[in-house]
Amino acid sequence: MTFFRFDIDARSRMAGRFIGRVRRELLKTIKEEKRGGLTQQELARRLETRRSDINRQLSGEAEITLRSLADLAWALDREVTVELRRADGVAGQNIAPATSTIGYQPVRIIAPRIIAPKTSNG
Amino acid sequence: MTGHSESASGRCATVVTEVSKNDLAPIALFPGALTVQPMPTLTDLVDSGAIVKIDVDLAPRDQPLRLLYGTPQFVAWLRDVLDGAQPSRQLGHTSITEQLDDLFYSFLSGEQLNFTKQFRVVRAEENAVWELKTPDVRIFGWFVAKDCFVAVFGNWADTIKDHDLYRGYRIAIRRLRRELGVDATLCVKGVAPDDVLSV
Repeated sequence: MTFFRFDIDARSRMAGRFIGRVRRELLKTIKEEKRGGLTQQELARRLETRRSDINRQLSGEAEITLRSLADLAWALDREVTVELRRADGVAGQNIAPATSTIGYQPVRIIAPRIIAPKTSNG
Repeated sequence: MTGHSESASGRCATVVTEVSKNDLAPIALFPGALTVQPMPTLTDLVDSGAIVKIDVDLAPRDQPLRLLYGTPQFVAWLRDVLDGAQPSRQLGHTSITEQLDDLFYSFLSGEQLNFTKQFRVVRAEENAVWELKTPDVRIFGWFVAKDCFVAVFGNWADTIKDHDLYRGYRIAIRRLRRELGVDATLCVKGVAPDDVLSV
């Protein structure tokens, strides 16, 4: 065996990575604010919640709802930007998988995607 | 006397000789006393099956900026997880496979990892053992080079805490590195985050 692909279905992959990215962005911002003197205790005081509740959200033990994301952004004096972008294929990029190998199990189709070729002559 | 020499093929080797009266004498004068143990390269470890490269699907705009390997034992554990293995008490609100996929993705795509929340050194010591973390999973291994991690053990966070397995894993990984002969060449010695990750 030369390599092992940890392969989960596309829907779970998108959810897990999106939630993880939001959490990392919050952690990064809190770290930045910490250098300016903001403590998690102060953050909890601003949000009128418990520090342990914020900790559980940041560690992934509790869900971060849209409301709590907005609240945290407000307490950190940040804006939240949201964009839903079409995942378009461009030459030179990785090709998103259409099949899942799921380790040693038989190949199964999880997200067939057909991208219409672009024509240059219109 | 133990030293390192550069062989003709460009690979390092540990040269072991018996201590002689004239320790400064060229070792070529004592060919019968020499034992040369070639130090394996990363390619050797992969070719011998000691470690296996681990991948996840990257997004169209991503490029792999780090490398992740695992021992066959660790890969077997990952297969169990893909087959649905679960901790007795799940802490995270995403599934175990989602947690692992996100961890591997953020590692391989070169995202800035959060020190202590996503990775940490188990104990500040030379040739340290490192830990990758999700809410429910702990992965133990070492950095063979900057941005290149070898995973050796994976287990549930609550099991490790309940049974205090940190010391056992640390010792087992040190033993494995000795057996593979990689302590001197394929092991990052620093214990600061910047020593093991460049991004």
